[in-house]
Amino acid sequence: MASATNGRNGGGFETDVVTREIVRGKLLAVADEMGVVLARSSMSPVIYEVLDFACGFCDADGELVSQTNGITVFTGTFSIQVNIIKEKFGDRIRPGDIYMLNDPYHGGTHYNDVGVVKPVFVDGELFAFAISISHWTDIGGKAPGSLPADATEVFQEGICFPGIHIYKEGERQDAIVEMVAANVRLPKMALGDLNAALASVRIAENRCLELCEKYGKQAVSETFRHILETSERVSREAVAALPDGTYEAEDWIDGDGITEERFRTKVAVTIDGDDITVDYTGSCEQLQGPVNCSRSALVSAVKTVFKAIVDPQSPSNEGWFRPLKVEAPDGTVFTATKPAPVGWYYEGTGQASELAWKALAPIAPKRVSMGSANSLCVTVLGGHDRAKGEPWVMIEPSMVGWGATDERDGNCVTSAITNGDTFNYSIELLEAKFPVRVNQYALNTPGGVGAGRHRGGYGSIREYEILTDDAVLSASYGRSIEKPWAQEGGDEGSCNYFELHVGNDARRAARAPTTIMKRGDIIRMFTGGGGGYGDPFERPAEEVLAEVRADYISAERAREDYGVVLAASGRAVDEEATAKLRAAAA
Amino acid sequence: MGRLASDIGGTFTDLVYFDDAEGSLRTAKSLTTPGDLTQGVIDTVELSGLAPGEVDFFVHGGTTVINAITERKGARTALVTTAGFRDVLEIQRGNRPDLYNLRFEKERPFVPRLLRFEVRERVDAAGTVLRPLEKSDLDLVVSRCREEEVEAIAIQFLHSYVAPRHEAEVAAYLRERLPDVSITASHEITREWREYERANTAVLNAYVQPIVQTYFGRLEEALGGADIRCAYAAMQSNGGTTSFSWAKEHPITLMESGPAAGCNGAAIVGDLCEEPRVIYLDIGGTTAKCTTIEDGAPKVTTEYRLEYSRTQFGYPLRVPVVDIVEIGAGGGSIAWFDKAGLLKVGPVSAGADPGPACYGRGGTEPTVTDAKLITGVINATNFAGGQFDLDEGKARAAMEKIASGLGTDVVEAAVAVIRTVEANMINALKLVSIQRGHDPRDFALVVGGGGGPMHGAPLGRELGVKEVIVPLYPGLFSAWGMLATEPRRDFMQTVLRRAEEVEAGDVRAVFAGLREEAERYYQTDAHMGEAEIAYEGRIDLRYLGQEHPVTVLVDIESVEVEAILAAFHDAHEKTYTFRLDDTPVEFVTYRLTASAKVPRPEMTRLTPDGRSIQAATRPARTADFAEDGRHEAAVYERDRLPPGAELTGPLIVEEATATTLVHPGQTLRVDDYGFLRITDA
Repeated sequence: MASATNGRNGGGFETDVVTREIVRGKLLAVADEMGVVLARSSMSPVIYEVLDFACGFCDADGELVSQTNGITVFTGTFSIQVNIIKEKFGDRIRPGDIYMLNDPYHGGTHYNDVGVVKPVFVDGELFAFAISISHWTDIGGKAPGSLPADATEVFQEGICFPGIHIYKEGERQDAIVEMVAANVRLPKMALGDLNAALASVRIAENRCLELCEKYGKQAVSETFRHILETSERVSREAVAALPDGTYEAEDWIDGDGITEERFRTKVAVTIDGDDITVDYTGSCEQLQGPVNCSRSALVSAVKTVFKAIVDPQSPSNEGWFRPLKVEAPDGTVFTATKPAPVGWYYEGTGQASELAWKALAPIAPKRVSMGSANSLCVTVLGGHDRAKGEPWVMIEPSMVGWGATDERDGNCVTSAITNGDTFNYSIELLEAKFPVRVNQYALNTPGGVGAGRHRGGYGSIREYEILTDDAVLSASYGRSIEKPWAQEGGDEGSCNYFELHVGNDARRAARAPTTIMKRGDIIRMFTGGGGGYGDPFERPAEEVLAEVRADYISAERAREDYGVVLAASGRAVDEEATAKLRAAAA
Repeated sequence: MGRLASDIGGTFTDLVYFDDAEGSLRTAKSLTTPGDLTQGVIDTVELSGLAPGEVDFFVHGGTTVINAITERKGARTALVTTAGFRDVLEIQRGNRPDLYNLRFEKERPFVPRLLRFEVRERVDAAGTVLRPLEKSDLDLVVSRCREEEVEAIAIQFLHSYVAPRHEAEVAAYLRERLPDVSITASHEITREWREYERANTAVLNAYVQPIVQTYFGRLEEALGGADIRCAYAAMQSNGGTTSFSWAKEHPITLMESGPAAGCNGAAIVGDLCEEPRVIYLDIGGTTAKCTTIEDGAPKVTTEYRLEYSRTQFGYPLRVPVVDIVEIGAGGGSIAWFDKAGLLKVGPVSAGADPGPACYGRGGTEPTVTDAKLITGVINATNFAGGQFDLDEGKARAAMEKIASGLGTDVVEAAVAVIRTVEANMINALKLVSIQRGHDPRDFALVVGGGGGPMHGAPLGRELGVKEVIVPLYPGLFSAWGMLATEPRRDFMQTVLRRAEEVEAGDVRAVFAGLREEAERYYQTDAHMGEAEIAYEGRIDLRYLGQEHPVTVLVDIESVEVEAILAAFHDAHEKTYTFRLDDTPVEFVTYRLTASAKVPRPEMTRLTPDGRSIQAATRPARTADFAEDGRHEAAVYERDRLPPGAELTGPLIVEEATATTLVHPGQTLRVDDYGFLRITDA
């Protein structure tokens, strides 16, 4: 027998391992190129500036083999969505077909996230799928931006593409294009983004055909299997290295947009050999407001944290997730059923991700940081810009403070776990595009962070002044009551909220239903700081002094939180008084 | 009289001198002297034996700027910003490229919060002043900078790309009161929008300025001391040169001067070979860099990011830099297995010390150079001009760990290492070619650097280029390219307008304004003399609603809006697979490149004297040609090959600083200049 004698060349492959590695590199380049094409040809700021999209390439079974860096929660739904198309159309999938889908109850996240799927045929045989998902700025529904914070049914959140042809055997389905144009507030932008998404999947098809021509179909399809199998192997080894047992965590959802009540969520993570089960049974039932997520989004949210624990940096694909099972009964906040609203699903997925993260933190301390002010803190502003004579919609996730690790302070102002390689708006670009002025963008030092041997990272303060008379605001921030968590003696972080100054009325809130704003009105957004790690009284006094001198914290907080007393000059540590204070606390 | 180019690299300082009268080149290479870099320059001058008094032009490039930043040895720098925005430099863009890593680390700003000062002032996106500059706020800035012993200050206000007045006023005020501190206002370096990117650019300029001022000052002294008294030019990242005095004010534009010079060299080679479209690949000890050159000039971008990687965003710099893709793959790159047991090569390199295992200087990790020795490509006794012998036994011992991991013998393992590193290089080459809509079949591949000629032939074949060209002195190629570099500066202006509102006269007017600016710059530039200035216009256009434009070349002598639009639609389709003929188009940014035509050194043609295939022939040896198998290969000495010689692979050509490989089925021709031209049958 010739097999199994040539080391890593084994595994029943006809092509050699070096060729498979080369093709693997090329598949990664294909996904990267899809992303470049989508971002650069897009027509909406939320895609070209914020990068609210992701692209991937799947094998004929729909298993993701290569993806772009992008939104983590999108990449986790690719395989589910491709399989929905496969199940629905089966043998009727033809060369030249391209499908569109965005149903949160069938593989999706929320209506705004529109998936475009192109089957790739090689020699007349279905060989692979290219997919991209991008956030459309508006997809119709009750409010500009399609994210009413007080929605009670999914029907208020826009229009649904339940897996339909946008191209059928090369022919554009104009009826669909007209339906889209007639039902969204910014049709040019929507169709521009559809063009960009179509370009990205077409590029992928071209590249796949080139690969098959050069290396042969068999080499490419064996590379698909090679990618999935090698990733699964590393993944199982990583899970097996974790101690067997069940690890639990609990958390709260702070309001759902309809009520300000808090809702209990929980998880139990069970490690059994090289299998892992993440079970959300016991979490609250689906809520009236739109912070629910559907099962596909939940699975995706868990994948993000699972990948972070087993191997954060190797390129992601479906193979990594073969050891993973996600469980929860239907109808919870994480497995909502139609017609529950899911517009702000990322509040649900963010919560689900962080529950698993928190549960695993004690057994994977070198893979985690402490709790972040984990919410996308999305603000949607829109209306009619009279100066330009055009409708406008601006959707913006805010960045939050992240938690400390056992080695370092947390990162300041960074995109939350549900997002990924996404950007804040440049102030100069934002002021040129939208009738809004930015009065401040600063670290939220007044709000503070979790103190610790290593402290949490700061959130931000961002203030907008409205420059038009008919703006509409929706905003919904999580983590507004329950503080970011901390372990090993660190302090909890701080919360997210915003202040609205509308006319003579000023109020503080975390979730705002559709609110009319006029010229001169202000929204001031505060995001929280991350949790600290380790005993703050063990933080070197010189580091505390440096942060007082740079106005991160006051001398009072230095004394209270860190036990550091400064000399009268404010430029040196009073060593004696500090030693005394710290000794007294020990 | 003659022209002298000097390039300081991490390991070696190179010199190339062109004697105008004789039409001959002299070269010298000596170890870089990190303590005082000017010493290495003077060492090469002495080594070369040239007569300093004969030098009438001196051009210099090197790693001073990039090293100061990489090693974080720049000046103590402060930042002055619009009130409310001092934390923008620390907040950055908030993105997480390392998206599954819950412990990633964001870039640290080059100015700590303690030294970031706010001043009350505000301008809007249209350039209207909303709040006048409160000059009284500056007194505190001055006193705090004195207390904190600040050496450099960057100034960046919102929307200064359109309305720079407040920045200019603050710069003047601070220059007067803090005469010993270097001051950089962001608009002096870049006029592009996005506040974080512009602030970071200004900060890094300020951060390196005191060092560059001192360094260039010392170099001027040392050159004077060595009796080299002529115009001194500095090589820039944009592929052009400038005077030492301008460089001292804009040091950040020197960042990638070495690679930029190599790109120019490649353009010249393309020109001489009548190949207007060139892909340039430079393979050194640690990295490989590549770029594409069309219309005889490398593409220049303002989207460069320092210390960028797949997992780190890096620091954006909005200054023109030759559009280079750089990967961690070179002769010293180490082969290893990742956790999944997959063979990887690089990005970690054995560097020059200890170097590859075969150098016998204590290296034990298997590198690409070791693989090349094991496979018979490199001659153990003729390496680096025979300066030292290579130890194949040590190379094999190091490669053993790869062989046992793969379950193969040592030679097969070495072949796998070469194929893997070449696959990385191919991906980088595709990134600059195919992925940008170019068809490699229209391009020639020019290879430089010590390792380029060794990998060029198989890479060229895989990429499908017309031919592979190995230039003269591939190991000194950056200095060679610098020698023929012209003074250049890029001028740009953003005038956002829909196409239907743009007339040919408007386009001409914008370019005329830019041209005046260029003429003023050259009038005040000492190293320019009477040279004629050449202008090249480009316009960034986009479909209405898009942000990212596509740049098209414009004939500024006879502007036709219709022709510009047609070129845009074509370029968009080529880049992004689609065109939108019915969608309105926007004109965004006008770009004018002004370069002075200086006499290039005339390349001399080879004379056949003393050269023949027979004289060049060395003993044949067995070598592995990766995918093409193991063959008995003829070996030739490059310096003795006659012009017009035609040979078929498999074969090897040896010279002092490089080894060229020609695969089976490929043909090698020596052209009149002595370039090696490799084509597939």
